[in-house]
Amino acid sequence: MSSIIVEHVHKNFGTVKAVNDVSFEVRPGEIFGLLGPNGAGKTTTIRIILDIFKPDSGRVEILGGPMDEQKKNRIGYLPEERGLYQDIPLDRCLNYLATLKGLDSGMARTRIDEFLDRFDLADAKKKKVKELSKGMQQKAQLISTLVHQPELVIIDEPFSALDPVNTQMVKDLLREQRDQGKTIIMCTHQMHQVEELCDRLVLIDSGQALLYGTLDEVRRKFAKPSVLITTHDALPETIQGVGDIEKVNGNYLLHLINGAQPNDVLKSLVEKKITLEKFEIALPTLDEIFIEVVNKQGGVR
Amino acid sequence: MKKFWLVFINEYKRHVLRKRFIFAVLSMPIFVAFICGIGFLSVWIQYNFKPVGYIAPAGLLENAQAVPEESDQIFHSVPFVQYTDEKAASADLKTQKIQAYFVISPDYIQTGEVEYIKVTKTGSNVEDDFSAFLQYNLLRDKPKEVAQRILDGTNLTVRSVDGSKEMSVDNWMVIMLPIIAGVLFLIAVNISGGYLLQAVVEEKENRTMEIVVTSVSPSQLMGGKIIADMLVGLTELAIWMVFTVFVIKLAPSLLPIGQSAQINASSILLIVAIYLPAFIMIAAAMGAVGATATEAREAQQVAGLFTLPIVIPFWFITAIMFNPTGQLATWLSIIPITAPISMPLRAVFTTVPTWQILLTIGLLDLCAAFMVWLSGRIFRIGMLQYGKRVSLKQIFNRRTLLESQK
Repeated sequence: MSSIIVEHVHKNFGTVKAVNDVSFEVRPGEIFGLLGPNGAGKTTTIRIILDIFKPDSGRVEILGGPMDEQKKNRIGYLPEERGLYQDIPLDRCLNYLATLKGLDSGMARTRIDEFLDRFDLADAKKKKVKELSKGMQQKAQLISTLVHQPELVIIDEPFSALDPVNTQMVKDLLREQRDQGKTIIMCTHQMHQVEELCDRLVLIDSGQALLYGTLDEVRRKFAKPSVLITTHDALPETIQGVGDIEKVNGNYLLHLINGAQPNDVLKSLVEKKITLEKFEIALPTLDEIFIEVVNKQGGVR
Repeated sequence: MKKFWLVFINEYKRHVLRKRFIFAVLSMPIFVAFICGIGFLSVWIQYNFKPVGYIAPAGLLENAQAVPEESDQIFHSVPFVQYTDEKAASADLKTQKIQAYFVISPDYIQTGEVEYIKVTKTGSNVEDDFSAFLQYNLLRDKPKEVAQRILDGTNLTVRSVDGSKEMSVDNWMVIMLPIIAGVLFLIAVNISGGYLLQAVVEEKENRTMEIVVTSVSPSQLMGGKIIADMLVGLTELAIWMVFTVFVIKLAPSLLPIGQSAQINASSILLIVAIYLPAFIMIAAAMGAVGATATEAREAQQVAGLFTLPIVIPFWFITAIMFNPTGQLATWLSIIPITAPISMPLRAVFTTVPTWQILLTIGLLDLCAAFMVWLSGRIFRIGMLQYGKRVSLKQIFNRRTLLESQK
């Protein structure tokens, strides 16, 4: 059973097509990247999944059916618009939000204390939320997203306002959640985070899903006919099947001519007694794919 | 349902445990105490307790005694000194031993004539105290009941033909009840509505709306908030009532409320049946205003507009009192927004037909339900528009309304 199924969903706001025939599926136990530039329709899609907005047409299934009040307790959501009750102490704020997710007050207190220790916020628990730094509030929000041990976690830009140490801690936490069998949807435009964490992804732009699949599938789809090699030997002027040779960060990027296969290039290099430290198909980074796809679609806004 | 109570408890505690609430609660007694203090001071400044003389004709006021003081009397009476002739009194007035003197006419019993002689401004208590002194001593020999009867004067009681209503000078609280209740209603509505409005706007300002609506349904959220904020207003009101009762117990003469009042149970019932839906209706409307506004100050200004129509019946209070069955009074008591003040007031002066009472209560119930529904809709439209106002077009747009119901 899929954790989320989105099928041909449309949503217009006036004349603006916010979501235009988007379909994807999120499988249990994976970290799924929902990518796209600003204003692409990511947040609207999330809000439709969470039943905050109703789609104009299309079908959404979450945890095996339409959204209902019971399912809200099985979902953790960290929205793009961050917010906590500013005028009350942190522990009271977190306790209230945890009880709204179905935890009893005692259990909520125990789990919140554990998280506060882990996030290095134990000393701040009696402080008013407004007295906390932006990073501390961000961590507090993550606690409220995870404290009720949701089966499905939807997080929008989880690393914003976090320093490198806390970013690493959150990454570890997300991996830990996945290892526990939780499904995670991560909404972001930080491609290197997606490359590090996500199993599969969908890229949305102008309300349309432009890319969908595993990270590897997507990169292979955009792979140019070229190979990346690392060697300390000087390369011969001509290599069978290779057109241009480009030097990139101490490596060589060999652009293949039409019809040439990487195997032919490898064979040729070995025959010419070139010692290879690395030989790999040159896959594009997600950043490159993102820019290429979005530019093709009409430019980054 | 559990989440409704969680929202309710959190909302109630959030307001009641705030310093702002405690200040608001204390401000009223402090304000009243201040006003009373100023009043007390201004009276005291105008009073003069220097002795006052009097010359009485033979046979009148012989062995006169000072009026016995009541245990709860705040100010003492002016001491009165008898003179046998005006010359001696005048001499004492000049040397300022006394502040004034009265010369009681020899035919006082027939004419009631008394001359008041003074040189400078006297205390404003002198005339009243002398009047009480005269009455007490003239009636001192009469049996207590007779003396009291004479002092009370006439007591006219007006009864309705069917005997259901009765009004007399002694029972003036019957008239005051709907007026006092109306004022309290206005205060409570303003406080509760203000809190609700603030709560909804804060939810938007804090950006917590999206988290909350993915945890509870909008109706649970709004319902919990409406009831909690209503109770916050009533808590404030109840504390003030306790304070008032305490003051009455402490100094009954300060406030006349404790005096004999025969308040009909049906009047109370009518007030409750009308105020409850009206309260919900107005609170829900204020909540809706909160959902459309971007910041608390802006919402507060708009909410002021709601108080205006509720107060309208007070402007026409004489018309309602003198012609309680007239068109104006009838319509004001049926229109939901003016009914809370008009209907209980009208019911004091006439027997309102049962169908009119039922119609008013029915309309108010319907309006309350409608406003809760509408505020829920507006809330759904407005809840995620951070920093943006919800336009009237959006609220009444059929498509948006349908959207919010999906």
